[in-house]
Amino acid sequence: MADKLLLSISAAQVTAARWRGGRFATSEVFANSDEGFAQFTDYLAALAGVTAYVMVDAVEEDYRFETLPHAFGRDRAELVARKLKQLFRNTPFACATQQGRDPGKRRDDRYLFVALTNPELVQRWLAAIAGRGLPVAGVYLLPMVGEPLLARLPAKGPNVLMVSLHGPGLRLVFFRDRHLRISRLARLDTAATPGLQNLAEEVTNTRLYLHALRILTLDEHLQVVIVDRKDELGGLAETIARDNPNLECLRLTRADIIRDVGITAPALDSSSDALYLHLLGSRAPSGNLAPSSVTAGFRAHQLRRGAYAMSGVAAAVLLAWAGANALQAASLGSDAQDAERRTAQQQAAYAQVTQHFPAAPTSAENLRRAVEVYDRLAQSARTPDAAMALVSRALENHPAVVLKTLGWRYGRADIQADASRAGAAPADAGRAGTPAPRHESALIEGEIRPFRGDYRAAIDSINAFAQSLRQSPGVAEVRVAALPLNINPATPLAGNTTVETRDRPVSAEFKLIVVMRPPA
Amino acid sequence: MSPGDLKSLNKPVAVLVVVVALGAALVWYTHQQVLVARATLDRAQSALRDATLRLQRSGDEKEVIERYLGTYQALGRAGFVGDEQRINWVEALRQANQQAELFGVEYQIAAQQPYPYAADVNPGGLTLHQSVMKLNFRLLHEGDLARFIDALARQRAGLFTVNQCVLQRAGTATAIRYQPNLRAECDLAWITARPAAPEKKP
Repeated sequence: MADKLLLSISAAQVTAARWRGGRFATSEVFANSDEGFAQFTDYLAALAGVTAYVMVDAVEEDYRFETLPHAFGRDRAELVARKLKQLFRNTPFACATQQGRDPGKRRDDRYLFVALTNPELVQRWLAAIAGRGLPVAGVYLLPMVGEPLLARLPAKGPNVLMVSLHGPGLRLVFFRDRHLRISRLARLDTAATPGLQNLAEEVTNTRLYLHALRILTLDEHLQVVIVDRKDELGGLAETIARDNPNLECLRLTRADIIRDVGITAPALDSSSDALYLHLLGSRAPSGNLAPSSVTAGFRAHQLRRGAYAMSGVAAAVLLAWAGANALQAASLGSDAQDAERRTAQQQAAYAQVTQHFPAAPTSAENLRRAVEVYDRLAQSARTPDAAMALVSRALENHPAVVLKTLGWRYGRADIQADASRAGAAPADAGRAGTPAPRHESALIEGEIRPFRGDYRAAIDSINAFAQSLRQSPGVAEVRVAALPLNINPATPLAGNTTVETRDRPVSAEFKLIVVMRPPA
Repeated sequence: MSPGDLKSLNKPVAVLVVVVALGAALVWYTHQQVLVARATLDRAQSALRDATLRLQRSGDEKEVIERYLGTYQALGRAGFVGDEQRINWVEALRQANQQAELFGVEYQIAAQQPYPYAADVNPGGLTLHQSVMKLNFRLLHEGDLARFIDALARQRAGLFTVNQCVLQRAGTATAIRYQPNLRAECDLAWITARPAAPEKKP
């Protein structure tokens, strides 16, 4: 926990306390004078790296309870800033704390506006702190600091008046619904010990004051809590009760304070502000009177600490991550080494076993595969016999067809129409996609004899021959690749009818391609 | 905040940047180490699985060797397994020509190349090659073609398949006995197999 410098500034004196390791450590008191200021400057010279928290206990304070339209974010900030400027024109030490919502229909926000109306009281001391380079976290009024004490009091009613005796006088702080509402500091004659009757009168006056401000009517129940840190106000509760029968008085003794607040007896005795400085060190109030110019150094300090904290967190997280990775890599490497060792064992065992195997030129798998591949190749081999038999059978029924060339092919692609030409062989290996199965195909080149120029009859004979082939079992397709007369309308056609005579016959040649079904 | 306050932030921000950068680099480096180690482990485990499976199947392997070794050696002698036996092929051509009573066979053997239909027969660890032999010969009649192919196969000079044949009339008008009437051109593929990665005897 960071060390803190806790200051309590009043018109008469300044109490400086050190907060170390979450506990109240030491305190020194300086007179609010030039001499005291010089001593305070010397005191600061020995400090470094601590954050200052300043509490003010003075009569120059103002509390205004206001309601503002419910708003959020920037609108709320602007509303509050405008109201602060309107209420407290002469001091930069002012702030507002929200205290819930108004129960009315509009549900307005309720604020307590607080100000230190005499900024000169603290400016010299703040300047000294800033001059030393110490960040100032905030400036607070003593009643603001004492608000957490309310939670530790036995008083649970809605209206509580907390009374405590301080150096400057009697501090009377009124809480409504557990929230600070108003406070007053009644100066006492410091030359003489205040009598209980005087203190009781101040309580009575305060009650009347609250009534006059329309904060609390005289009929409303009020609990008075006497914070008696020195056990010197033993009869005060009875005195107050005697004057104000409708008040409920409770007394917080020195032992109660030590037990409930957690402050040590020496620390509590070190100064009249020790209890509140302890509360300030434990937890700073939510409201802060200091303008941003005063706390700029603290914000920078917080950013620096945040950046260092983030660096530490990032370093820890990243190191942990990297460490986890390194451990995982080491574990995987160990597993890999184990697998390699076991693999070597398996291989050695295999080598031992295979010493008794028959001598073979290759692996058992290759032996088996070679035999199987040979069988498959032998079974898949084809010869032209089937195609020749097919054509022979078809020719028997078509005596006018004279065969000139018979081509045959076994491959993925069909035989080409010019296969009879030397060197014409389709390349069907290495095509993209799923290759077609190998199949047989045949090329039939022939002519119609006799032919005396009757192309229509010749073409009819050729088509009939092709039809016979189609009807043969095992034939998948028969294509006419060439006819004696090219009747395709997309190509030109030329000829001479004068040569079509009995003495000078012309040929009626054709080409057919027969595609056999692939083997099942 | 004053310029001095802002300046005071330089050092912590720089520390943060350096810490994050160094930490990120360290994490990245160790992550790469993890990836490498995982890949190494995968390879080692795969090798272990293979070795274990191989050992488990060693009994079957012995049985396979005993069952197929004789046939494999016979295929080697027949010219299917191992190097090409072109002399045997030419000798077989000569014998087949005589047995089919042809008029002589002209041949051309192209350079050896990968067998294009190897995938159809699932060769596994074997590589298949083919040498295409172009034959040019004359026939008395079409039946001689089948007799020639049968005779060539009976020579057992290797494994071949017929890819293509073209029969054409020789164009002789006169019907003289023992005069070739047809001219034939055939493409044969002589196929050989060889283990792709020769393994030492187990």
